[in-house]
Amino acid sequence: MSTLIQGISQTGQSRFLTRFRSNPFAIPSVLMILVFVVIAVGTALLSSFGHQWPCDPNLTNLEQKLLPPSSLHWLGTDNLGRDVLSRMLHGAYISLTVGVVAVSVSLGIGVLVGAVSGYFGGMTDQILMRTVDALLCFPTFFLILTVVAILGPSLLNIVIIIGLVSWTGTARLVRAEFLTLRETEYVKGARVLGQKSWKIIMHHILPNAAAPILVTAILGIPDAILSEAGLSFLGFGVQPPQATWGNIIADGKTYLLYAWWLNLFPGLAILIASLSFYLAGDALREAAEGRD
Amino acid sequence: MESFIIRRLGLSLVLLFIISIISFFIVTLTPGSPYPWGELNPKISAEVKANFRKKFHLDRPLPEQYALTMRDLFTGNLRSIKDDRPVMSRIMERLPATLALNVTSILISLSFGTLIGVAAARYAGSWQEVTGSFITFIFIALPGFWISYLLATVLVTNFGVPILGTQSYGIDFPNATAEWLDRLWHLLVPATVLALGGIAAQSRYLRATMIGTMKEDYIRTARAKGLQEDVVLFKHALRNSIRPIISGIGMLLPALISGAVIVENIFAYPGMGRLGYEAVLERDYPTLVALNFVVAALVLLGNLISDILSAAVDPRVRLE
Amino acid sequence: MRSIRFFLYGIPALLVVILIAAFVNATFLSVSKKNEMSIGTLGEPSTLNPIQQADSAASEVAGMMFNGLLKYSRDLEIIGDLATDWTLSQESTFRFQNHEEALKSRDFLNTLLSSSPALPVTGLEVQEDRLIVQLRQAGLHDSEQIFKSLWDFNYNPLPFPALAKGEKPSPFLAEPILRFHLRKNVRWHDGAPFTAADVAFTYHAIMDDRVASPRRSDFELVSSLTVPSPYEVVVRYRKPFSPALASWMQSILPAHLLEKVDPAKWPEIYNRHPIGTGPFKFDSWKTNERIRLVKNPDYFLGSPWLDSIVFRVLPDPLTLQLAFQTKQVDFWGVQPWAVKGLENDPRFELFSAPGNMYNYIGWNLRRPMFQDLRVRQALAQAVNVPQMIKYIIYGRGVQSNGIYTPQVWFYDPKVKPLSYDPKASKSLLDQAGWKPGPDGIRVKDGKRLSFTLLANNGNEVRRDISTLVQDDLKQVGIEVKVEVYEWAVLLKRFVNKGEFDAIVLGWGLGYDFDQYAIWDSSQTHPEELNFIGYSNPKVDRLLSDLRQEYNRPEIIRMAGELQQTIYDDQPYLFLFVPEGTSVMWKGAYRIRRPGRNPGEWIDTPVTMTKAGWSCDMEWFYRPEYPPQVKGSKP
Repeated sequence: MSTLIQGISQTGQSRFLTRFRSNPFAIPSVLMILVFVVIAVGTALLSSFGHQWPCDPNLTNLEQKLLPPSSLHWLGTDNLGRDVLSRMLHGAYISLTVGVVAVSVSLGIGVLVGAVSGYFGGMTDQILMRTVDALLCFPTFFLILTVVAILGPSLLNIVIIIGLVSWTGTARLVRAEFLTLRETEYVKGARVLGQKSWKIIMHHILPNAAAPILVTAILGIPDAILSEAGLSFLGFGVQPPQATWGNIIADGKTYLLYAWWLNLFPGLAILIASLSFYLAGDALREAAEGRD
Repeated sequence: MESFIIRRLGLSLVLLFIISIISFFIVTLTPGSPYPWGELNPKISAEVKANFRKKFHLDRPLPEQYALTMRDLFTGNLRSIKDDRPVMSRIMERLPATLALNVTSILISLSFGTLIGVAAARYAGSWQEVTGSFITFIFIALPGFWISYLLATVLVTNFGVPILGTQSYGIDFPNATAEWLDRLWHLLVPATVLALGGIAAQSRYLRATMIGTMKEDYIRTARAKGLQEDVVLFKHALRNSIRPIISGIGMLLPALISGAVIVENIFAYPGMGRLGYEAVLERDYPTLVALNFVVAALVLLGNLISDILSAAVDPRVRLE
Repeated sequence: MRSIRFFLYGIPALLVVILIAAFVNATFLSVSKKNEMSIGTLGEPSTLNPIQQADSAASEVAGMMFNGLLKYSRDLEIIGDLATDWTLSQESTFRFQNHEEALKSRDFLNTLLSSSPALPVTGLEVQEDRLIVQLRQAGLHDSEQIFKSLWDFNYNPLPFPALAKGEKPSPFLAEPILRFHLRKNVRWHDGAPFTAADVAFTYHAIMDDRVASPRRSDFELVSSLTVPSPYEVVVRYRKPFSPALASWMQSILPAHLLEKVDPAKWPEIYNRHPIGTGPFKFDSWKTNERIRLVKNPDYFLGSPWLDSIVFRVLPDPLTLQLAFQTKQVDFWGVQPWAVKGLENDPRFELFSAPGNMYNYIGWNLRRPMFQDLRVRQALAQAVNVPQMIKYIIYGRGVQSNGIYTPQVWFYDPKVKPLSYDPKASKSLLDQAGWKPGPDGIRVKDGKRLSFTLLANNGNEVRRDISTLVQDDLKQVGIEVKVEVYEWAVLLKRFVNKGEFDAIVLGWGLGYDFDQYAIWDSSQTHPEELNFIGYSNPKVDRLLSDLRQEYNRPEIIRMAGELQQTIYDDQPYLFLFVPEGTSVMWKGAYRIRRPGRNPGEWIDTPVTMTKAGWSCDMEWFYRPEYPPQVKGSKP
């Protein structure tokens, strides 16, 4: 949050917060995100200390396979008798990690390319932007599928691939911001004073472009979560027995007519998580753009 | 104007070249066995496989393969590994179905998106608008495969209606209307699922720009002149906001074809998304390269046309 | 202004109206069915040319349009199809120093034959320095006996140079001869008559490099194919090769359409709209959607009852089930877990038959830890296969006891599968020197007993197997890491190179006793099918003997020995043979097929046979469209 607040002039800070709060979805969605983060981090912490709560997500028990939700298994069991709730709690960690890390990757590349392109302009800009144009012409999903096939489906690879194919939007946005900010008086002044380019970028331009960048980042998280779920669904996802929301649905898809709980709950989890991010991101955007 | 078109055309060709190289190398680096038969078949000897690789130039070094692939692509001799037919005819036979699905889906998302967006701008802040926004955000956040499965299951188990493919089979249709409605039904279900995200995006975009325009001076002037609120809304604000949408349709294509992969698979719809997905699984390199190329070419063409059109319509757009 | 409003409200309203109308329309559709059968397939055929295809979807469709010379009966016996009958004989050739020696040995054999009539010799002939013996049956046994008698009486035949690189010179030539007599009333779908020239053309096309036929290895040992009359085909083989008979189930192509065309043009002119001789004719193909066949009223066994068959391509198993529930697909190959829910539903009929494939885990025998037989036995005893059968396939299957599945005639039921016994497993591991380490995982010479188990994604059964194996082996102190890859990647990176620890796979090998490609020690190179690196000289000998044996009881004996020997070696962990189950809406179809006597028709419900439910598709009918002939109960 600190970079964001830096990015907005000091006087605008409280106005920004007021505007953010006035959005009816802002507070609930942020709270919902916090709940997911607490669940994900909590489950991960507990299991790193050897406590699996409510039970081991990978413990198979064939005698209890495909049981509907009950007081013992709140969200039922899957086709190998594993507890769906436990798997979903562990899946929360994976899904959020995928979202955050993939966005970091895409943000890193996007900001770098956009900044270089927008600040220096000329031939560099031309080459970089034509590459972006070329990538925008690809059907992204085929690109992801082929690259997964090349690199192999591990969590790390999937995160990187989703990041690698989704930076073009950020790059364009950052470039546009830089094009305008480059012409502002204080940047011109800094240049006249002979400051180094990267210093100007880091100290003068980037902080001022922080708000829109943050908004794209937050809106990028649910995109990444949905991409991972889609990949898992097609069987290109994270390795089993590791649970993710996407592959719980994928594993349960053939049982849909007999075991609705395998499909409904993880689907709702994906829906609610990405909805929260979209709503929070949108509220943030509106607040940053100065709308009421 | 002419020099503008020529320059844009040149640029597009350069882009196409870059795209062809990227797509060729990414595609051929994919590990796998490009044979049309199941690999673990005791009846198929190493000799047959070698013969097959030779036929599709798979025994040559990569740069040479690229050159041969491109040559074949332009002479129309590029053949699919799966069924040995020219890839262009494989792609073209999907075109009607793909166009039908994507055009319908764009139509649904634009028409409903506009309606919702306008209403949202008009009644911004009211509880109805807040509820509406919430629903549109649900549309974006829905995992496509999940909603497709739920919809398909509900339609089949609760209503017993056929939904797969482009029409029902094994039925004596009482008349032509019934047959056409049946086809429309098979088109509308996947198109609606595909359009959900678009409806949301369109309505959000329109709401934001329209609220922006409403604050412009000329709108205030129009209001001050005593024009009805609706007239202001439709005549000025909407018209002003709609142009960028029309010019952006071209860029929707790759996203739609990507998004259609899962929907087409679930609804067994014979479109290009499924062709591409199956080509990835079957390691049908020629088909994949050609498909990427065709989609890219279509996008570039769409962009070019929309640029020229908006330049022709709006003198403020500079041709640079 | 008005136009804007019109578009703004009008288009969405119109779309909603159309959607509602289409939905209402769809709810009324299932009423009047055509006389058409609809079959769902997950994959789409690559081509309908029967000599260029090897996928099951393609052979299912092509099977309705084409005939081979032979086919399997409902009981999996080989019977004539385009051939009315066939004979198998053999020419054995012995070589001598000169013409005189050959003549002398012929006279000797003549006297020998009169004293021992057991030898199935039908003729003797001398050509220059060679003595040619005509035999009534094929195989090496009789020729070896003749050779031995000649040698015993000092008529010493000279050896023949080796036929192929790596083979030994042979003491005599044994060339089996297959002679087919063909049906005379058969016509292609375009009206042209079917003759022996079509058979000859099909053989030459398969051997043509430009065709790149995956069927080629079946015919590599053919030395000549001749057509003495338009309805007779004679095939001569270089050496005894008993699996060859079944290879003549190969569908026959029409010479008159393809002979003069470059095979490179076949995909356009033939492969997607073929002409065959079968009960159904090709009608149309909408890619990724459906293939429609219509009845062939001139079929040589009589016109089918159905007007048409539609094969629908439905790539997702769940939607295939949905299509079945809306009666858009008439038959559905049910997964075992769904059987449970359907079995007691009075609306459906289920057919089950023992499957023709088995699941296994292959141990890479190049890895030191798997080279110890005790370790492999311990692995087999640590995995609870009965429990897998109970829960993964809901009891619809049996434990596998080796390389053959129960319904083939050369299967040996006496091979006892190893029982689930974790205690025995632990003590075997102890004996082999693998002692439990600090973390519970066994250790030997500082190495942990830990390996990676591979499976392919998209196959629920194999994925579940890998998870359960992981759990079971943990109990005896073995660590298993499971990795799941896309099929193409699995083959390219691991299987083809022989670089993996263990892998979950299945073999569905048809009804062929010949498994040379999978078990022979010469087949362990990259891209070959003995990818686990198995080698046992006894197995090698049995495999090659089996391929040259034509005598049925002998085949059964040797196949049994082969099955036992391989099972004892435990190169695979043989898991289970799942049943195949199909489901149909109750009473949707019946069968009325010709009986033994002319004019007699037998009416039965659809049943599962050894060869599956779908044989004799030409005699399936819908009760709404009863056949014109009267049927009687069997």
